[in-house]
Amino acid sequence: MASIQESVALSSSSRPSAAGTVELTGVSKSYGDFVAVDSLSFSIQPGGIYGLLGPNGAGKTSTLRMMIGIIVPDSGQISIFGEPLIRAHMDTFGYLPEERGLYRKMKVLEHLVFLGQLKGLTGAEAARRAQSWCERFELTAWTGKKVEELSKGMQQKVQFIGAILHDPRLIIMDEPFAGLDPANAVALKDVLLELAKKGKTILLSTHRMDQVERLCQSICLINHGRAVLEGDLNQIKARYGRRNVQIKYEGDARFLNEPRLVQSFNDYGNYVEVRLAPGADAQEFLHLASSCARLSKFELMEPSLEEIFIGVVGKPHA
Amino acid sequence: MRNTWLILKREYLQRVRTRSFLVLTLLLPAIMTVLMALPAKLATMGLKAQHVVIVASTEQFGESVRQQLLAAPSDDEEDDTDRADSNAKQKPEDQYIVDVDANPTEAERTALRDKVSTRAIDGYLWLTDDAIAARKITWYSREMMPFRERSWLSETVSRVVQQQELSSKGMTAAQADQMLQPIKVKPVRIEGGHEAKGSGTGRFLEIVVMVMLLYMAVLFYGISVMRSVLEEKTSRIIEVLLSSASSTELMAGKLLGVGAVGLTQILVWAVMAGLIALPSLAAQPNLSELQISPWVMAAFALFFLLGYLLYSTMYATIGAITTTEQEGQQLQFLIVIPLVLSVFMLMPVIRTPDSAAVVWMSMIPFFAPILMYARIVVQTPPLWQIALSLGLLIATVWGLLIFCARIYRIGVLIYGKRPNLPEVLKWLKYAKA
Repeated sequence: MASIQESVALSSSSRPSAAGTVELTGVSKSYGDFVAVDSLSFSIQPGGIYGLLGPNGAGKTSTLRMMIGIIVPDSGQISIFGEPLIRAHMDTFGYLPEERGLYRKMKVLEHLVFLGQLKGLTGAEAARRAQSWCERFELTAWTGKKVEELSKGMQQKVQFIGAILHDPRLIIMDEPFAGLDPANAVALKDVLLELAKKGKTILLSTHRMDQVERLCQSICLINHGRAVLEGDLNQIKARYGRRNVQIKYEGDARFLNEPRLVQSFNDYGNYVEVRLAPGADAQEFLHLASSCARLSKFELMEPSLEEIFIGVVGKPHA
Repeated sequence: MRNTWLILKREYLQRVRTRSFLVLTLLLPAIMTVLMALPAKLATMGLKAQHVVIVASTEQFGESVRQQLLAAPSDDEEDDTDRADSNAKQKPEDQYIVDVDANPTEAERTALRDKVSTRAIDGYLWLTDDAIAARKITWYSREMMPFRERSWLSETVSRVVQQQELSSKGMTAAQADQMLQPIKVKPVRIEGGHEAKGSGTGRFLEIVVMVMLLYMAVLFYGISVMRSVLEEKTSRIIEVLLSSASSTELMAGKLLGVGAVGLTQILVWAVMAGLIALPSLAAQPNLSELQISPWVMAAFALFFLLGYLLYSTMYATIGAITTTEQEGQQLQFLIVIPLVLSVFMLMPVIRTPDSAAVVWMSMIPFFAPILMYARIVVQTPPLWQIALSLGLLIATVWGLLIFCARIYRIGVLIYGKRPNLPEVLKWLKYAKA
């Protein structure tokens, strides 16, 4: 019953690009006057974990929905595995939406089998895989229970299993760690890393910088529907240079108020984090500091993604 | 197709397995039986014989009226289905105690009036020769006399008076009886060059049953569909579903799944009704009147299913554009109005199935399930009219399904306030692919 209206075939002019698992070229989407995504382009290489970052309302969810064909872009092209996106691609995706939802009255195993079957698995195969994943996530005792009897965290694990049950080539996760306790978050992270090692492509959408920093090889930072930063995470960090210093000291703190060298600092009690002024020489700052106070620590830091994020997004015309 | 089937199967199994389904399926027939049997039971309960006094100028005339009143109704009244209810089957001597009083004085009238007030008697009939000559007799009682009893009384007294007048003119009692035998009219319908078996009453029943079933099915299962759409939206599972199946597949699977639940329920009820009613029906000579031709059966199934699909698609659309059940119920009138209008149109359809107004009304898809079916039962309309109405109905169901699926796809992604019409139309634009 796949009708023509439902197929999300895009303009035939899109060039096949062998490289990317997902390739967005000038994709735009607006709802009435509100522009959710504004000529966004990025490409996700096969294998590994790709981070889609951005503040709330930046257009992350709209972008994901267009990638899996729930909504259709107003303009631009999306290609998947080098072909324009069509319905047939759907079974190769695993999607965990930000808004979680399961049928509350269904039993866990039944529910997983239903989701697996919708993605093309046979009932028996879906049941077998669901059982083994439930074991992995310590849900075996709950497979016969109704979804509504499970805690929120357990429901979230069930939904995660539902998204990867059919062994998708492309896994799209919208804030997968939200609402999980640390132990479950680690279990989920381990599975994601495992899948990435097996050559699956994982797209992680989140506003949590620390997770992206630890998991992702490449990122795309979007704000107001536009790509602000895109590329390899290490390269991005290198581009932003080492301008942060962590200091532990005793004595005169006068050196922190030298505007020529120090742009800002943040006292954490045990140590102080200092952001050097643009163009300032770290060695000169070390001399100044050691002349004023006794240093027990002086370390040149890599900028955190959070800083880059705030630095880029915080600017008025980012 | 596979997805539609999976969704249908899930919808069906989830519903059929619930306890409420079991309770409803088993309990509803019991409740219906009680509801239907109760009024009749109540009407006959505590009903005791009425004490009636006939006041006549002569003892002999009063006695003839008494005998005629207590005589069993004539045989030829039995095939009159209108009177085949339980009251009329009771014998008159169980219903009435009749005394004759040959003392038509004012004092007696006052005494009788007092007796009626003190409930010593239930009423009296003033039948003096003067009243007979004036062709106007009077019945005194505490309560209004039911219309049917009034005409029965008038017939009975007329017959006695006519008999007496005829015999006074030299006719024998047998001759007078023969002469006074009323002439009955038996209606026979001609259908397709044959005399049709059923009377109008059987046809009427068929239509009423269909209308009731469709009405109930639409309200019951339509609301189920709406609720299930809303559930998918509020539980947010819809986004996962839409990443696996098209919204048309989802919609079709849902409608068919809930429809299959309804069919299961109706089938169970039909079997139960059959088991209960078969012994008593077999004993009823009236059964032949209810025999339904396979052609009408097919029409019933077709119009019933299409009617269900049409109305439940409308319910699904309401589910797609609203966010809570309360909101959805506020919009329900959009669905109920065409249904109620169809019911209002039933009488004109039965009386004049050929009138232009009826013909065109029965073409409108929202009325067709009830009105076209009623026309088929009353008098088979020309084939082209049936075909046209079916075609329009199917096209409308299909169109609505597509429309609804689009609204569903976009509507599910937007939560919060209910959209107004321009917004819904804008969604249609977003949804086109």
